[in-house]
Amino acid sequence: MAATLPISATVDRVAPRVTPQTQPFGATAPSSTLPLLFTITGLLALFLGAGWIVVQPEILAMYHYSPAAIAVTHLFVLGWLCSIVMGAMYQLVPVALETKLFSERLAQVQFAFHLTGFVGMVWAFSAWNLKSVALFGAVLAVGVAIFIFNIARTLLRVPKWNVVATSVASAIGWVLLAVAAGLVIAVAKSFSESLPTLAGWVFRFDPIGAMHAHAHLGAIGFFLILIVGVSYKLIPMFTLSELQNPRRAAWSVILLNTGLAGSFVTILLRSPWKLAFSLVVVLALALYALELRAILRARKRAVMDWGVRGFLTAVSLMFPLSIIAAVLSWPGLPVNTYTMQLENVYGFLGLVGVVSFAIIGMLYKIIPFIVWFGTYSQHIGRAQVPSLAELYSARLQIISYWIFLAGLLTTLLAMEFSNAVAVRCGTGLLAASLAVFGFNVATMLRHFVRPQLKPLPKTSVNRAIL
Amino acid sequence: METPAIQLDARGLEPPQPMMKILEAVATLPAGATLIAHTDRQPLLLYPLLEQRGFTYETTTQSDGSHITHIRHR
Repeated sequence: MAATLPISATVDRVAPRVTPQTQPFGATAPSSTLPLLFTITGLLALFLGAGWIVVQPEILAMYHYSPAAIAVTHLFVLGWLCSIVMGAMYQLVPVALETKLFSERLAQVQFAFHLTGFVGMVWAFSAWNLKSVALFGAVLAVGVAIFIFNIARTLLRVPKWNVVATSVASAIGWVLLAVAAGLVIAVAKSFSESLPTLAGWVFRFDPIGAMHAHAHLGAIGFFLILIVGVSYKLIPMFTLSELQNPRRAAWSVILLNTGLAGSFVTILLRSPWKLAFSLVVVLALALYALELRAILRARKRAVMDWGVRGFLTAVSLMFPLSIIAAVLSWPGLPVNTYTMQLENVYGFLGLVGVVSFAIIGMLYKIIPFIVWFGTYSQHIGRAQVPSLAELYSARLQIISYWIFLAGLLTTLLAMEFSNAVAVRCGTGLLAASLAVFGFNVATMLRHFVRPQLKPLPKTSVNRAIL
Repeated sequence: METPAIQLDARGLEPPQPMMKILEAVATLPAGATLIAHTDRQPLLLYPLLEQRGFTYETTTQSDGSHITHIRHR
């Protein structure tokens, strides 16, 4: 047997032992269907959102406080990003933290609330029917509450607390606040006559400041903190390395939390102190970048695949994003067309360039694994099963990577100069890249329907070496 | 009496290759023999598959953070 090699590490007699009685999953492996349901929903929302912008590019070419911009942003954030992230968390949190999901049944129930909630919200925003926004927002919030309960109960089972668990715990706290803030704004605006006290309190804040504060809770609190935290587990796993400095990693998550708490308050109050807190977030991201660089320098696998490269490209886009954040939070920044459009550039670069691009990179690792595990794990050792790399085309992946970057750059420049035609060109390129990505995902999912199994070659059935 | 043992080093591999190597090895594991598999990470997703195939196992964490799993027929 080729893999028969001597074992060098010494057995620690007092080390924790895992047996059939103590391992978390029992005889049932985690479901592949549930994360895929969230993933497919997320991808459909992504394609719909991209198509929407191509048809109506003026949404991005003008300031973002408009019903269409808010509707498409919620389609993008709730339909695409939240669906993907929540589905991935149901799959990854138990594996990353070595425990079992508290309840798969609750996750299924959340899916129903989530789908109904975000579809209704997007329709209600586009029709600017704020009562319906509040109603469907409440439905979505019930789903989010179920999600938080399920993940929190899962975290209570974690045998070894680490930086990944801290980031997951922080993220579910922030998403609760993000949803609560959004719901309070929607309820105050639509029920101001029946709830005058609440409305009076909410209306004390500048509406755009409140919207931006709500957006940062979700974007930094949920997506960015999770990307940072989960990558401390996944990047070493995919590049065959180790976390190099757990203290530095922990500080990056602590500073992200601190910076966001301060940013939320200062953005809401339009305080000049928001520059200080945006710099705390930038410092956290600098520590993250240093730790990632150390992890990559210690890696045992020289060649990085394009999933990891895509993720790292997205992470490097945090650098221009940080500069724009500092500029926009500069005290006394003049308000003109360019600085107002720079807010669009900031939001688009953050949500599309950093968060979405990072997620697409990770999805090239996660979806093949979920499909492969669900389809082929039963057959290993009994039949010849394809490798992960055989589940999709790496060539198409590279093509979509470059088209995405070209589309992103074009769209950002077009937005800054309020040029709707150029926005259409840029988002057209992004949509083309996503179509290629979608084709690759369909290639992966085809294995669910038509597994590619071959009989074991006779030579591989060798007798064990005793 | 000491049972025959087969050692399998599945370290330095990206998932799911360690799981594949271990499941391929247990497919030819003689009755009474033990497979001693060495992995970088705790093989969490492997456990349900081993149980479904009629194996029992015990994993110990090593001082270097890697894991050793003893696998044999139930």
